[in-house]
Amino acid sequence: MQPCSREMQAMNSLLSPTQQIPLQDLQPNGNSGTHQAQIHNPQFDPTSSHDDFLDQMLSTLPSCPWSDLKSPWDPPKSDETPPSNHDNNVGFHYDEILASKLRQHQINGGGGGTTAAMKMMMQQQMMLPGRLIAAAGGGGLTMPLHNDIVDGSSFKSPNQQGGEGSVQALYNGFGAGSLHGTNNQSPNQPQHFHHPQGGNMQTQSFGATAGTVMNQSQASGSTTGGAPAQLKQRVRARRGQATDPHSIAERLRRERIAERMKALQELVPNANKTDKASMLDEIIDYVKFLQLQVKVLSMSRLGGAAAVAPLVADMPSEGGDCVQTTAGGGGSLQRNSNGNQPSANNDSLTVTEHQVAKLMEEDMGSAMQYLQGKGLCLMPISLATAISTATCHSRNPMINKGSSSNHPLLQSNGDGPSSPSMSVLTVQSATMGNGGLDGSAKDAASVSKP
Amino acid sequence: MNNPHHLNPTSLKSRFTTRFLRALTKIRAQKPISSSSPTEIFRRYRRIKVAADKSMAYSVRSRRIWSRAMLWKLRSRSYRRQDPCSGRRSGKTNQAIMKKSSNENTTTRREDGVGFVEEADELRQLVPGGETMNLCNLLDETAHYIKCLTTQVQLFSPIGKG
Repeated sequence: MQPCSREMQAMNSLLSPTQQIPLQDLQPNGNSGTHQAQIHNPQFDPTSSHDDFLDQMLSTLPSCPWSDLKSPWDPPKSDETPPSNHDNNVGFHYDEILASKLRQHQINGGGGGTTAAMKMMMQQQMMLPGRLIAAAGGGGLTMPLHNDIVDGSSFKSPNQQGGEGSVQALYNGFGAGSLHGTNNQSPNQPQHFHHPQGGNMQTQSFGATAGTVMNQSQASGSTTGGAPAQLKQRVRARRGQATDPHSIAERLRRERIAERMKALQELVPNANKTDKASMLDEIIDYVKFLQLQVKVLSMSRLGGAAAVAPLVADMPSEGGDCVQTTAGGGGSLQRNSNGNQPSANNDSLTVTEHQVAKLMEEDMGSAMQYLQGKGLCLMPISLATAISTATCHSRNPMINKGSSSNHPLLQSNGDGPSSPSMSVLTVQSATMGNGGLDGSAKDAASVSKP
Repeated sequence: MNNPHHLNPTSLKSRFTTRFLRALTKIRAQKPISSSSPTEIFRRYRRIKVAADKSMAYSVRSRRIWSRAMLWKLRSRSYRRQDPCSGRRSGKTNQAIMKKSSNENTTTRREDGVGFVEEADELRQLVPGGETMNLCNLLDETAHYIKCLTTQVQLFSPIGKG
């Protein structure tokens, strides 16, 4: 944020009461239209109103004693001024305040498009005297970017107040007009702000008498903004610096979504995916898994003897919210997130098994994943019985998946009256207790760790 | 049962636990565990599940969209059960509102430049009340919903052992 040395010297020369820069010398420098980071001279457009403003500015310069300018600041200023090449005729100590405030404002409010402009503003303003700037720095510091003279007229009223209030109002007025996206002006903005800001600051520091000068400066600033912008072609805003309100809104939205995805990533285990789509899939699977877990736990531990196995095999798939009482036994409860939807048949169970069988024929991995998604795993019967006897001796006997016994592939799961289902559930609940299905099956005769 | 988890008396966990235990005791008082027919079991399960959902939703109050949706569903369902006439009315309004929101969703299609439509739709089906949320809110609600579900699971696991 160090001001350019050339700018400093130029402004110093402008400000110093001993020198009078003839306007003619300044004019050729106007509108170089170069890179926004490089401002060699104050950009003074050769417009008549501009001349008037400059004349007034320069005329009022000597009238105001510099001591007045210095008085707002505490005596020891030189040590606080930024090192480089400030002219210490006027203590630029407020630069620190201004810089910090500008930075703060920049961090808080600045949209992407105005960042560069505001940086330039900061640089420029650091050169300028007037503690009023510091006050205004806290307010809206976004600069007007557009051609029309609306800002000029809007500043008339605040300018008449004079003093700090007017500067702040001025800046607020600036801020109001700032983001009316003129992308094509983004390279030009700093140049144009340089002068209006310089002029404004000086005149403001001189009190209410600068009111009229302010107006003219605003008008000139706006017009200077207008003319060179038309000369340039439309420049595409850089990535991340678009000033179009739509793209800004889009960007904000995307940022919010990204931040929420990050929060979700922390909640969901296996959050090593960098791809957003796969992360969403993972989230979906995790929500399903949790819902299933709640269902199973509530049934197995709280509901007493219940058809937990059919429950486990169910997938929450249907929408809608119809309430059907479970007539008839052995049914499978189809739970979905929207409500309680029990349907009294075994179809879902067999369907699941058929699906798993089909999957296992094609690809073992996907079959395992499918089972895992349902909260199931395959394990050898011996291990299942061992686990069940070891852990579930005190528990109520569970109803097995009766229909599964006729399926060969899932024999390990469906064999026996109670142990496999119980083992599956045991494993499930055990692993749930350990925080997830980390012990899920790995191969056909897989063993799941309790 | 001792509650080592409940460090904060006003946390979600403690609120949910108190409510849920209250509901459980009420259910236990209503029906003895003697019934073993599947019908009874399912009914009991459903009651428990409803109690769990209700207590969870109530502990969240209306601070979240999904809890509001869940509470609303529970209430409409209970009204429907009590009074068929009011059930019809509420069912109609329910359907009307849901259809309207789903129509809005389908017509607008939420294709707002992020490109996760299928996953977002699936997530909407999972999270209660998700049909009426845009992606941003949906992710937010999902995070909270996941948190609540994990709380429920954590609280359920020690219950059965005792």
